[in-house]
Amino acid sequence: MGAAPVHRIEVTPRVLPGLQDTRGEGVRRQLAYDHDIEIESVRSITGYMVRAPLTGAQLLDSLRDLFTDPVIEHGVANQNLLDDDVMFTPPPEIAIQIGFKPGVTDNPAQAALGGLTTLYPDAGAAGDVATTMTYLFWGVPEDVEEKWLADQLHNPMIERAEIATRIHCRSAIWPQLPFPDRPPIQFEEPAIVDLEVSDTELERISETGLLALNLAEMQAIQAHYRDLGVRALREEQGLPPEAPTDVELECLAQTWSEHCKHKTFAALIHHKDTETGEDSSIDSLFKTHIVQPTLDIADEVDWLLSVFHDNSGVIAWNDDWSLCMKAETHNSPSALDPYGGAMTGIVGVNRDILGTGLGARPIANTDVFCFGPPDWSGHIPKGLFHPSRVMRGVHAGVRAGGNESGIPTVNGAMVFDERYLGKPLVYCGTVGIMPRRLADGRESHVKTPSPGDVIYMTGGKVGSDGIHGATFSSIELTEDSPSSAVQIGDPITQKKMVDMLIEARDAGIVQVTTDNGAGGLSSSVGEMAELTGGATIDLSVVPLKQAGLSPWEILVSESQERMTIGVKPEDCADFEALAELHEVEATAVGEFTNSGDFHVTYGDLTVASLPIEFLHDGLPQLELVSEWVPPEHESPNFPDVDAEGMGAVLAGLMARPNVASKEWWVRSYDHEVIGQTVIKPFCGVNHDAPGDAAVIAPLHGDTRGAVISCGITPRYSDIDTYAMVAASVDEAVRNAVCVGVDLDKMAGLDNFCWPDAIVSEKTPDGKYKLAQLVRANRALDDVCRAYRLPCISGKDSMKNDVTFDGEKISVPPTLLYSLIGNHHDVRKAVSSDFKQAGDAIYLLGETHQELGASELSCMLSESHGGGIGGQVPNIDAERNIGLYRALTAAMSAGLIASAHDCSDGGFATALAESCFGADSGCTVDIERLFADDEELDDWGALFGESLGRILVSIDSKDSEAFEAAMDGHACHYLGMVGEGDQIVIDSGEENLLRANLAILREGWKATLDGGAP
Amino acid sequence: MMVDTPKAAVLTGFGINCDVETMAVFEMAGAEAQRVHVNQLVTGADSLEEFHILAVPGGFSFGDHLGSGRLLGNRLRFAIREQVYDFVTSGKPVIGICNGFQVLVKMGLLPGDEEVSLSQTASLTLNDSGHYEDRWVTLEFNDASPCVWTDGLERMRVPVRHGEGKFVVPDAELLQRYFEQEQVVCRYVDPSTGYPSAADEPVAYPLCPNASMRNIAGVCDPSGLVFGLMPHPEANFTKWLGATWTREGEQSDWEGEGMAIFHNGVKYARNNL
Repeated sequence: MGAAPVHRIEVTPRVLPGLQDTRGEGVRRQLAYDHDIEIESVRSITGYMVRAPLTGAQLLDSLRDLFTDPVIEHGVANQNLLDDDVMFTPPPEIAIQIGFKPGVTDNPAQAALGGLTTLYPDAGAAGDVATTMTYLFWGVPEDVEEKWLADQLHNPMIERAEIATRIHCRSAIWPQLPFPDRPPIQFEEPAIVDLEVSDTELERISETGLLALNLAEMQAIQAHYRDLGVRALREEQGLPPEAPTDVELECLAQTWSEHCKHKTFAALIHHKDTETGEDSSIDSLFKTHIVQPTLDIADEVDWLLSVFHDNSGVIAWNDDWSLCMKAETHNSPSALDPYGGAMTGIVGVNRDILGTGLGARPIANTDVFCFGPPDWSGHIPKGLFHPSRVMRGVHAGVRAGGNESGIPTVNGAMVFDERYLGKPLVYCGTVGIMPRRLADGRESHVKTPSPGDVIYMTGGKVGSDGIHGATFSSIELTEDSPSSAVQIGDPITQKKMVDMLIEARDAGIVQVTTDNGAGGLSSSVGEMAELTGGATIDLSVVPLKQAGLSPWEILVSESQERMTIGVKPEDCADFEALAELHEVEATAVGEFTNSGDFHVTYGDLTVASLPIEFLHDGLPQLELVSEWVPPEHESPNFPDVDAEGMGAVLAGLMARPNVASKEWWVRSYDHEVIGQTVIKPFCGVNHDAPGDAAVIAPLHGDTRGAVISCGITPRYSDIDTYAMVAASVDEAVRNAVCVGVDLDKMAGLDNFCWPDAIVSEKTPDGKYKLAQLVRANRALDDVCRAYRLPCISGKDSMKNDVTFDGEKISVPPTLLYSLIGNHHDVRKAVSSDFKQAGDAIYLLGETHQELGASELSCMLSESHGGGIGGQVPNIDAERNIGLYRALTAAMSAGLIASAHDCSDGGFATALAESCFGADSGCTVDIERLFADDEELDDWGALFGESLGRILVSIDSKDSEAFEAAMDGHACHYLGMVGEGDQIVIDSGEENLLRANLAILREGWKATLDGGAP
Repeated sequence: MMVDTPKAAVLTGFGINCDVETMAVFEMAGAEAQRVHVNQLVTGADSLEEFHILAVPGGFSFGDHLGSGRLLGNRLRFAIREQVYDFVTSGKPVIGICNGFQVLVKMGLLPGDEEVSLSQTASLTLNDSGHYEDRWVTLEFNDASPCVWTDGLERMRVPVRHGEGKFVVPDAELLQRYFEQEQVVCRYVDPSTGYPSAADEPVAYPLCPNASMRNIAGVCDPSGLVFGLMPHPEANFTKWLGATWTREGEQSDWEGEGMAIFHNGVKYARNNL
């Protein structure tokens, strides 16, 4: 490109009566909230570096029509705003300019370039734009260093900062970043990788190449290239006969990564249990404990349309529509760049929905995060962010990704534990909808590719960003982790593509589709090639963000917002016309074949040819060893308290991050776009009581609905992962029952996030961690069968460990269980808030002395020493499901005013939350609970976390009908909703707990108030 | 000539994302609604002339970059200026909701002027809170307004879902003129007060979620045909989408409060076009 001049445009908000610089003010407030630093004033300047052949008049016009809001902003071109002594008097004390590093996605810049093209098509088409944000500070405390301030404002992994220090500012030397030009990349011809080397050398090749392949896998590849038949064929194809090209090795590494092939779940495990003496073998946890139960349930129901093999699981919602759901994790990228990592997480899982069958429309998101404690004051290994910063970044990324895509975030959770300081867990889920049949009669959940179909890559271009994401997430995180694995998403580019591809689907143009996620084209085309028995693609025609990428980089790059589509040759013109209308990039890159090979060229040169069978089935099975030794924990120290003191314990629990209100965070997600959200994240008279599960009615005006819920209880893993999984599944079901789910049509998703569970020097306790995984899978099998709850999709992330500065931090074994179910009539849906004074309150389900690893035990172990030991909640799934059925019937009959599940903090926190919803207290007597279990004490009754319990209220006039409906199930009348501001819990004559509702609410809201408003 | 079933063009593309439900509410109100991609108007594949009502729905057109609504506003202002001008001057109703309101304000159609000069005089900027929010508010309508969309309305509960909804007119005289011309159609009010209570004194956050000048939530042009507002009336098309509907007892009629706006628009088109 010719050297067009770079015009510098600077824009700042006018500060007038009633108008503030909100961006600057936001920075000021956040520094005060997060760091207790009071700065007098912060202002902001948005900068655009515009490299385009614009005339002087065009530049000024674009300043007025495009870059500046003429009513509320002041903008200049090719002058420095800071020299304007009217705008900024006195000059700032510190000025810090932030811009993206070369090659990082700059969405505002792309939008600006598009806007410029609207005004001046020629100049825009030849142009390039980069943006900056400059923060100006006045009244900064002396002890705040400029460098520290800059570190709070940018992430050096993806951004640059230019600092004008106090000294610079006094001399009017202002920051000015250069245009982020990428150094030219040197195109490299495909290299040949000699595998005729020692085992040590094989391991070294894997490690230095970030291939994440173990020795057995490297040897399997070596053996493939020793095969005489293979050699002869390669000779014919013009490939090096005896060794792979780098393109082939990379393609195999992506396809065989833990991320893509789930090697631990597919492993042969020799399992020992020191408690029971069991000594057995399990041939694939996935097949044994996840697939088999679903297949068995599939024999009994007719609504499981597509399970496990596609990008999401599909169920028949009704005769005309199907629903699908998928959840993913984006933990490693979110650790390195919380904003970009989380955003690509949510827009990535949206593409899984778009890539299901012939394409489903994403209609609801779920977000579940696990972070270190937001108020953590302990040590943080060098190179890691403080958990509050991770939380802000992840939240902002998911907010932007979901909101800008127009997909409501309807359900989620936040969990805090110090072991998430290393890798946060960022679970992003999406629900999709599609018609059962297309106009041409094809079932939309079935892909229909044929040899000869043209392969299109749509959406974004390919860049050097996102190389090695799949393999990178399959190894632990260290200081040396590559920044190329971090990306920023572009939700609008993707939204345009969603609009276009749904139209293409409805027009009958799409034969097959999948997303370009982990492994990029190597995975997307490689996987779909299995359906027809082959594919050929030409990497030289793939549109690039920057010239010079080598063939292997083009093949494996995970650059965002891309889908791969198969289109019949006769439909290509229509497909391309749709792409043009929506301004979506679409390039024909190859075609499906039945040659048996995944064939890759770069122009005329063949750079890879891999037999489909070897690519997909050549991976050797891992053999692993697990051994269960039950852990030991001390009991908690229970303090001696009176009823007021017990009230204070409840207040303490309500203010714990795991229990506290997440309203500030959740309100900034759009949870209502599409006009379908019936039961929202909030309910109650003041719209601040937490909902249990989402109910949506996706067809406008139609009362048929769907329920979306989740369960996550990692605390119990410290005692037993069996209990952890049982509790997570029950929590998801319980939440769904609270809103009135159809128990005969619900399906689940298992998302495991585990620490490394393979014994090695780095992981000496691998056998125990693997035993934890075995127990977790057995619980999933047992409980899902009992609840008739098939798993339809899932994912595992098995390397959630970091080693920074020589310190290793591993996450506690964590399962997120997400649920999607049918709802017969959304007008019968129930919310968690008590409705009116005089309504009768009941606790359904049995309460046992189950305080092991409870939220209370964790709190007491922090405040009073002692451990978290004790009985973890046991599950009696048959008993629970019977009760759930009875309650569901009572809901259909219109007998239930409110229903709220008992989880973290037990019965007492559930009671407080239902009271918040009515803004009134209550008086209850829980003496009857003690009949459930003779071991039960006051602590267990109030704060124990026994499963299968739901707190309900009913209109008192319905008491008889309700009690009859619940006959045969544990159903304890406790008292009535009151009018005052007091929560009083008695046991017979004894007053156990007394608390003021306003005080409980204040603490509950304050902990995570985000720096209100 | 009377139109039985007015045709509503619901704009789509580039990050608009409330097009499907906006289409649904126009259908419920008796119009025939069609999603129209902005580029179909640019290429001439479709023409606004064929429609009786134009709706610019909510969304994040162009990601809100360079200020919400600016880039889509520019597409309308520069790429299909004539069509937009002809549509508005031929007496056809236009509604912009949320991002659509931002578009109409940034392109100068709202609060606008009699000449339809398409020059911007007001703006929608970042909420004083500094962040995006989804929460329910109560609107009060100005019964003296010429707005054809809000005839007979007093109050309405609706969600706001925006980060840039603070309505501002820095020129105090101009703002006063919009009041005098009754172009201020609806304002945020405290639901615990009696009707009418809309006032100039700031209503506290979060009842007024964005610190709009004089609590303004929506305005119309001098003719009353072009109406824009930040909250989402289409999101309250049925009672089961209300914020507190589970507390409100048995219902015989499930139509939501927000539908009144779309009934008005369709009725106007039916009676006048």
